[in-house]
Amino acid sequence: MTRMKSIWVYHVDAGSCNGCDIEVLDVLSPYYDAERLGVKVVPNPRHADVLFITGPLTRQTRIALKKSYEAMPPKPRIVVAIGTCACSGGIWYNSYALYNTSPQRGRDRLRSGGPEMIVPIDMYIPGCPPSPEEILYGIAQLLGIKEKKMKGEYWIALPPGEEKKAENEVMFKIPERPVPLRYWLSLREELRRVIGYYDRDAVLNDFIGLVEKAFESDNPRERLHDLVTGYSLKEKDSRIGIAMRFIENEFWRLYEEYHEWEEALRKKYPITAGV
Amino acid sequence: MAEAPPYSEKLKSWDRFEAERFSRKAPITTPYPFIDIEKPPEYRGIPHINPEKCIGCGACANVCPPDALIMEWDKEHGVKRLTYNAARCIRCARCIEVCPTGAMEPTTRFEIATNNKEDLVEVVEHKLAYCEDCDEYLDFTERQIEYVRNILPREIFHLYALEDRIKLTQEEKMRRTVVKLRETEGNIYSTFILLNTREGGEE
Amino acid sequence: MVTTRDLEAHFEFECKACENGHCSKADVEKILAERKGLKDFYETFKEHIRECKRMTYGQYMFVIDREILPEAVLWWHNHPEFKETHLSTAVGTDERPLNGKFAFIPFLNVQVEPLNMDGNYWVFLKTYMPADDPSFPSVAAKLPAALWIEREVKDLLGFNPINHPDPRRLILPEDWPEGVYPLRKDMDYKHSPITEPKTEYRPTPKDTSLVPMGPVHAGVEEPAHFRLFVKGEEIVDVDYRGFYSHRGIEKTGEGRLTYNQILFLAERICGICGYQHSVSYAMAVERLADVEIPDRARYIRTLLLELERIHNHLLWVGIAAHLVGYDTGFMHAWRIREPVMWLVERLTGNRKQYGMNIVGGVRRDLLDYRKEEVLKVVRQIREDTKKFLDIALNTNTFIKRAEGVGILPYKVAKAYSVLGPTARASGRKIDARLDQATKTAMAYNEVDFKVPVYKEGDVLARVLVRMDELFESIWIVEQLIDQMPGGNIMVPIGDLPEYEEALGFTEAHRGEVVHYVMTGEKNKVYRWKVRAPTYNNLPAIPEMLKGYHVADAPIIIASIDPCYSCTERVQFVDIKTRKVKVLTEAEFNELSIKHKGVF
Repeated sequence: MTRMKSIWVYHVDAGSCNGCDIEVLDVLSPYYDAERLGVKVVPNPRHADVLFITGPLTRQTRIALKKSYEAMPPKPRIVVAIGTCACSGGIWYNSYALYNTSPQRGRDRLRSGGPEMIVPIDMYIPGCPPSPEEILYGIAQLLGIKEKKMKGEYWIALPPGEEKKAENEVMFKIPERPVPLRYWLSLREELRRVIGYYDRDAVLNDFIGLVEKAFESDNPRERLHDLVTGYSLKEKDSRIGIAMRFIENEFWRLYEEYHEWEEALRKKYPITAGV
Repeated sequence: MAEAPPYSEKLKSWDRFEAERFSRKAPITTPYPFIDIEKPPEYRGIPHINPEKCIGCGACANVCPPDALIMEWDKEHGVKRLTYNAARCIRCARCIEVCPTGAMEPTTRFEIATNNKEDLVEVVEHKLAYCEDCDEYLDFTERQIEYVRNILPREIFHLYALEDRIKLTQEEKMRRTVVKLRETEGNIYSTFILLNTREGGEE
Repeated sequence: MVTTRDLEAHFEFECKACENGHCSKADVEKILAERKGLKDFYETFKEHIRECKRMTYGQYMFVIDREILPEAVLWWHNHPEFKETHLSTAVGTDERPLNGKFAFIPFLNVQVEPLNMDGNYWVFLKTYMPADDPSFPSVAAKLPAALWIEREVKDLLGFNPINHPDPRRLILPEDWPEGVYPLRKDMDYKHSPITEPKTEYRPTPKDTSLVPMGPVHAGVEEPAHFRLFVKGEEIVDVDYRGFYSHRGIEKTGEGRLTYNQILFLAERICGICGYQHSVSYAMAVERLADVEIPDRARYIRTLLLELERIHNHLLWVGIAAHLVGYDTGFMHAWRIREPVMWLVERLTGNRKQYGMNIVGGVRRDLLDYRKEEVLKVVRQIREDTKKFLDIALNTNTFIKRAEGVGILPYKVAKAYSVLGPTARASGRKIDARLDQATKTAMAYNEVDFKVPVYKEGDVLARVLVRMDELFESIWIVEQLIDQMPGGNIMVPIGDLPEYEEALGFTEAHRGEVVHYVMTGEKNKVYRWKVRAPTYNNLPAIPEMLKGYHVADAPIIIASIDPCYSCTERVQFVDIKTRKVKVLTEAEFNELSIKHKGVF
């Protein structure tokens, strides 16, 4: 792609939800100030080097977008798709109100949408909405300040037991944990209700560390209680303390439940009765 | 062992870069494209599939609102492909929430703009389990079976000889159940206990 | 007085309100006695009422004959006692797969007493229409608030409002063929036929000239096309063609997604007030599943709603300053706003589209250090905004362009069901935050705040209402952080009941957002209707523009804080092909600044 010194931008909203528009505007506001990079939003496509498109390209906006694109000078005529919708149609793909070349969409084109239906796109900035830094990174790439970092991946997940032969083959690994996998799964799911999906993994990892320590001693139950108390004192955050206390109880409940269940099962069906 | 700082302290200590380094030169504007920065640890960047942990259960593809995660079966070649398309992803992090193995990993990656859409696609190809009796590939992967083995207590596996049946198609399982029923003349509990096994995903 | 005998004579139906599922007449009486005004309505229209039931807490449904629909709606809207009652919106449903009929349900927000938490309620007036003749007498002929509502059901479902004053196409693209109705159940959500485009503009009135505005504007706004008919500099009349952003949201939600996924679609209705939509939808589903969510989740939701309001009001005041040619104000407002964006990024993971909701609660918890961040930021905002307002409200560029411009009288505001700050600047006392706040998805019943109301109705009043609200929001946030209860942050919801209906609503920074949800089988949503506040505010724009100068048009239009993407969920007109000179908004703004910006 040709490197540019300063870019004049014309912005077309092709039916976006406003999120990306506001972020584009945010890039021009004092904190991100894209104008220092030579970016200027111009009110007329005839003056523009770059076309910013936001939105999934609704049917009503398509003619306006096409006209704007054609009104731009033939060189450099760069199109930047901002936001997930503009990159691929996003969550709206295949909707009846989106423009698609085929009226029977969905049959011959799986999951289509987005402005690439009618204009070629030179830079994709996905994000919902992309934060100003992401947009700045896209602009910086156009200006040659930053390099591209993403690259597509194709992994072959090897079945358990097979050895790695090629570069993109990956062996199966279940992380070693001192508690059985079923405890980990149940605790993880329960913790989602208490502290949410984001913080649960860290809390659970710390807890499992404590469990490992506790089972080294003779009386794991008391030892674990002490450890959790100590952890809460050090952590100070009340919510994490509560979550810790919660999984401690939950852990012992599961522990007892599984043991009882196993015992009961063994008592009830003592003989192997396989096929 | 060196004590790591508590979790909340770690998150709390993150700060925007402008604070000290650039206060005199540019009190407001970020120097961003000319330096490297990081997003806050809470930032929802694009998720990343960890191919080491992924078992191909498809829980993520089930909950994904924009269908950025797609599960495709290719039974002829015996593979199942999980495709993640960052160009369609709205970053709601639902996949991270439901993933039963923790293979969907959150990142704070934000430098993802690209001129080629194929850079945004991540594919994990899984091998399907194979039923030797019916000469047919099953719906689930070898890794899923391994994961179920890990979830279920060993004793139960041995007790009911699940090892023999776990790689059968649904038809074959039913056929064997019928045979078994005929043999045991109605003492069916041991055949039905199979129905209680869990396989992979939660949702 | 209604006796049991009367009820027996007129209520031959099964009512779902009672516990055992079969209505005894006494139960109906009990329901009618629950809220003030229900019994009066029943007495007035008892010949035509087929069924009455309580949908959920504070939401009542009357099934009425279609002949009396306008009278029934007007009875509520012009209720002599309940002054602020308004026709909120209406939904058309294709219920042919269920009972072979079409249904049309106007919703009325009944304000027994303005800003009374528990007295106010919602009334659904459901009418059934036979499948071969989906027509009903138009309400819009008598009430302008129904103008768009009825054009919408005509477009999307093929209903026929008889005697509608303006039956042009509103929502669908111009090249959409006649007789194809996307929201009917026999149409796939992917089906998108194209024919020759056909435009229906209002003819230019005599002795006026046309100033088209839009649809593509530079920079700020979303696509929408205004046609101003001017006599000299004065605006005589206005035609509007919007819906360029119609994305078929409702059909996509009904066609492809499950109820938890729609939540994220709802958030993407609007990038500015997305969380309000998300909470409204979650509230509707929680209401119909009859789940009470944990207190902590309610507090976190309310906190985020208020943070969203803070940054949106700052955003709006920045854009308003920009539109009157006061760009310093724009830059300052956005500078003050930015820390809120950083804050929500740390609370939720994203600057917009928070993705915090799940049906039954929230997804991330508010750890202690996050609380501290919130307090730090809102205090900073309060200081900065005070300083900013001190400067902005003493700047002539700003004040003289806003004062006495775009006046919307109370009566017009009421007739169009105008909502939010726009309505409160015209003296309407409404705020959905204070409508039956108990048992909702939010915690507004547990905090104390004032609702600012101004009587002037001009652009300046709208600025002041918003700024007062901003300070109230900061106060609410401080209270919420202070009172934040413990406990879980979500309750899992299993399967949803089938074919239940409920309404969810919040007060966005533009007015009340209403989501109607009717569940279907297998955890799908059968009908989902979204009504954003701009949908009610935008039809009133022509009334505000009439009599003012062309130069004032951008700020008047912006003064309602229009959000087309919310409103349109579906539309755009290409003007260039018709060789009318189109001003881009930037050119338009330049023109407006040239004419009025010099004092």
